[in-house]
Amino acid sequence: MMGLSLGEKNYIKGGIADDLRCDGRRRLDYRSIAIDTGVIPQANGSARVRMGSTDVIASVKAELGKPSSYRHDCGKVSIFVDCSPTAAPMFEGRGGDELSTELSVALERCLLGGKSGSGAGIDLSSLKIVEGKMCWDLYIDGLVISSDGNLLDALGIAIKAALSNTGIPKVEAMPGTSAEEEPEIDISDDEFTRLDSSKVPIIVTLTKVGRHYVVDATIEEESQMSSAVSMSVNRQGDVCGLTKRGGAGLDPSIIIDMVSVAKHLSQQLIATVDSEIYAAEARESSA
Amino acid sequence: MRDVNFAMTQTQKVRLKRALQCLRDCSVASSPVIVADTIPVNLEDNILKGHGTAELEGEVVATLCGAVERVNKLVLVRPFRARYKPEIGDIVVGRVIEVAPKRWRLDINFIQDAILMLSSMNLPDGIQRRRTAVDELNMRSIFEENDVICAEVRGSQNDGSLHLQARSQKYGKLEKGQLLSVSPYLVKRRKQHFHYLEQYGVDLILGCNGYIWVGAHSDGGGKNEDFEDLSAKLEDKMEVEVSPLAPHKEEASSVPLGTRENVCRLANAIRILSLLGFNISMELILDTVVASVTWNTTVRDMLGGEFYTRIAEREAERRSSKRATQV
Repeated sequence: MMGLSLGEKNYIKGGIADDLRCDGRRRLDYRSIAIDTGVIPQANGSARVRMGSTDVIASVKAELGKPSSYRHDCGKVSIFVDCSPTAAPMFEGRGGDELSTELSVALERCLLGGKSGSGAGIDLSSLKIVEGKMCWDLYIDGLVISSDGNLLDALGIAIKAALSNTGIPKVEAMPGTSAEEEPEIDISDDEFTRLDSSKVPIIVTLTKVGRHYVVDATIEEESQMSSAVSMSVNRQGDVCGLTKRGGAGLDPSIIIDMVSVAKHLSQQLIATVDSEIYAAEARESSA
Repeated sequence: MRDVNFAMTQTQKVRLKRALQCLRDCSVASSPVIVADTIPVNLEDNILKGHGTAELEGEVVATLCGAVERVNKLVLVRPFRARYKPEIGDIVVGRVIEVAPKRWRLDINFIQDAILMLSSMNLPDGIQRRRTAVDELNMRSIFEENDVICAEVRGSQNDGSLHLQARSQKYGKLEKGQLLSVSPYLVKRRKQHFHYLEQYGVDLILGCNGYIWVGAHSDGGGKNEDFEDLSAKLEDKMEVEVSPLAPHKEEASSVPLGTRENVCRLANAIRILSLLGFNISMELILDTVVASVTWNTTVRDMLGGEFYTRIAEREAERRSSKRATQV
């Protein structure tokens, strides 16, 4: 992204203070969100989300694996984000690694809960096939094609859409195997069970510029931020994860205020996203 | 300009498709061609094959995707997505990349960076004199890195570099606004590139290189302000800025809300028009803004599927009725 002159920076800050941003949005308005599901046919589930010029794709692949030793009855989920060089020239080679790890860690924290598996957005026990021996491993991959700010929110929406689009093949375990042997299973090619994504939270990022915070910042607005707080909120309005970025410190009362603002915004956003996912799936099935 | 995507309902998509089809039918003047399309020419005339054409098996074919233009005996293809091609006298808007000895290097969406010499700029005190070493050291007080500047193309030098000049009152640093980037193909050369819209209080500069500046009105950038006035103003501020030309860094002279809304409306109108691929001309921009006000579209809804579709339909209607009256 090109640098900004002092005049432009003042203009952006003044706009945010006046509640009229450069593209006419108010501080708490999201850009128009366009969702397409089923964009990668080889994956178990996929979705593409476009917000303004930000363009991300998320895909879910399910593979057979062994459950971890301290959680016998659960499957595993891992999230990895890759920033493509088409988004910015600096992402070529190793340049995008820092941003990729930052996004992956933030997403894992927001969507997967703690190490013990508590508070996860996805019900991991639904991924079990044979207790202690076999489970589904979900690999969620995100790809950033074009970046115009607010990558975390876009990836959160894309992952939610991809999960709702995911079909896990039906597996039948042959009965009568002893405890030591590998169980025999039969994976169906036609029957799929849909993953339950109603509990998956979405992420709302509030970017603080000057004395106000804005939601869904563009890349110019993000360059002026002092700090940003990303919260993942689920449909019940509970906060599932919290990440703070940026070097400036925040007063605790401001963080509490941001949490309540994010809670309020998330209800509307979840409703919009759910209806868009529904429309996208309808388009996909009719196409 | 990167692609912006809206969430559009099915009906909006159908309407948009119909409008785009109508626009395609109306385009008569220049026929678009893609690579390897044959260009219809009368082979008996001695036609000159210009840029973007090649002779293949006795026929003239296009080697680029663009519009065919014919000028007397010359046939050429002008590409849609080309880089800006400067001509002498063009008004361009650029961003300073580097401050080099006795010159500034600017990015103007051309294949190389343009050069603005210190000698092609008016000095702050307005006197015509030779640039001294002190002037050279104070270059940053005139333009810094990342500043947005409006200038005129002076010409290319012998070594191939492009030179600009900013000797007039109307050229100089641009502040209090936003810079938009569209495809250079959409901005045609006209008599006027600077527009001051009094009813909105907004300055609009359509750079031929595809960079468009929309901002609150400022009188000549304050370049030749009286030295005494400025130094008096500066004494009131805590910060001591030596040069009289530097904008007051602490200046809270923010843009009033009404003007800011107008700037946003114009900027969104330009974004929509560039997405639709229409030529960015003053009349069309004003027409779009007036339409948005008449239809009671809020500024943020201007970047939405409904407004996008309606503008496409409106333009399709206008062109088809124009064609009907001409025929």
